[in-house]
Amino acid sequence: MTKNKNKKVTMTKNKNKKGALEFSFSWIFAIIVGAFILFMAIFAIIKLIPLFNQGQDAETATAIGILLNPLESGFESATKSLIRTQVETRIYGDCIESTPSEYFGKQTIQISEKTYNKWSYTGMDIAIQNKYLFSEDYVEGKNFYIYSKSFDFPFKIADLLYLTSNSSSYCFIDAPERIKDEMKDSLNAPNVFFEVCPEESIRVCFSTGTNCDVVVRENQKSVRKNGEIVYYEGDALMYAAIFSSKKIYECQLTRLMKRAEQLSLIYKEKSDFLSQKVGCSSGITTNLILLRQGERNLESSSDLFSLVNEVEILEIKNSNEECRLW
Amino acid sequence: MVKKKGQMKIQQMSFLLIAVFIFFVLLGMIFVSYYIKNMKGKATELQEENAHLLVSKIANSPEFSCEMVYSSSEKTDCVDADKVMILKENIDKYSDFWGVKSIEIMKVYPIGANRECTNLTYPKCKSINLLNTSSSGYGVSNFVTLCRKEKYNGEIINKCELAKLIVRYEEIN
Repeated sequence: MTKNKNKKVTMTKNKNKKGALEFSFSWIFAIIVGAFILFMAIFAIIKLIPLFNQGQDAETATAIGILLNPLESGFESATKSLIRTQVETRIYGDCIESTPSEYFGKQTIQISEKTYNKWSYTGMDIAIQNKYLFSEDYVEGKNFYIYSKSFDFPFKIADLLYLTSNSSSYCFIDAPERIKDEMKDSLNAPNVFFEVCPEESIRVCFSTGTNCDVVVRENQKSVRKNGEIVYYEGDALMYAAIFSSKKIYECQLTRLMKRAEQLSLIYKEKSDFLSQKVGCSSGITTNLILLRQGERNLESSSDLFSLVNEVEILEIKNSNEECRLW
Repeated sequence: MVKKKGQMKIQQMSFLLIAVFIFFVLLGMIFVSYYIKNMKGKATELQEENAHLLVSKIANSPEFSCEMVYSSSEKTDCVDADKVMILKENIDKYSDFWGVKSIEIMKVYPIGANRECTNLTYPKCKSINLLNTSSSGYGVSNFVTLCRKEKYNGEIINKCELAKLIVRYEEIN
């Protein structure tokens, strides 16, 4: 009996040992391979989520680019548009100068959205060739105000777009009446204030004022911002200089001059064409050639002054013509 | 015998794990292909929206617009045919400028000779094709006034006709 009992105990021990070995090996195998699969899955998700986010950001950037189309003005001199986003968003506007393949350069837009208190990575940018967006390096907020104004030099070159947001306000001190009227009446700009400045607003001084962030000197046609000076011609470029960084302003001006150069060529050829077709002899062909040369040679905003004379002559000559070119 | 049984179990487990792995890979592939298809659909939708918004505004862009040539004040949705014919000759630099496949201006009334406008046929022609001469792709259109200068009885006159501005975009496959 005792012998039998001992035998049983030994057998159980043996069984336990054998079972434990089989069980643990297969489980170890399953755990290793399972962990590998799980690792692969987590790795794929970690890699894919930013990619999906980038895809969504690219979609939003494209949508913003498309929404800029209605800002092409008709007979109105200036327009405004509001873009609302669901979450806190940063819009990065950049400018790429002309290349042989992209003669007019391009405007790029990138989006970064705030999720779980972190800004998403801005990897993908959307390029648009026919838009000129003037902004700081990035604009942050949920409501974006885009103002648009036609830039004529002397004919219409493009509609300039100024990107601002509800999180940054501007205060214009001693602004001329025409600027006040345009901002208040035509644009009804909600983030541009006059004289009574909200706290932390960007102070834009016209000739006088203290603690100015931006100084506009109308007699010199210059705008000083962050210790840097840029030059302008006309109100459209003046707003551009106020609302954008120097880097973007100078780059967009070069792009605008590329378009102006091409338009000068079109008007020059139109003048020749009308002269042949209907006998409208135009006296402005030479001026158009000179303007085109100036536009081609423009390197920075400080060269704008050299074109003003030709622009004024063209403006006068075109308005007196029987066959106006524009 | 015991060894063989153990091997069998490991084999079973490996097959099961491989099956699970393949299942998840397939699931992932289905998800990714659905996502890509969805993205392509959205891209086409955005292209369509771009074409819709562009067609209503392109007539006012400086390369097309009449500006103050045909009246003392600026006209909206008025295309300067003489200027567009010059643009057609210098279109190379504008190939990706508007982000659409092609732009066509087709006379609607009065109906003229059914041929494309070239230096030789203009103004006795029907359509001005810019960017791409093929009429493939989806198109959205808008009615515009198409104006030009003409000589009539020794006098220079403004002649305006009704036309359709068609912007074409491609579906993303």
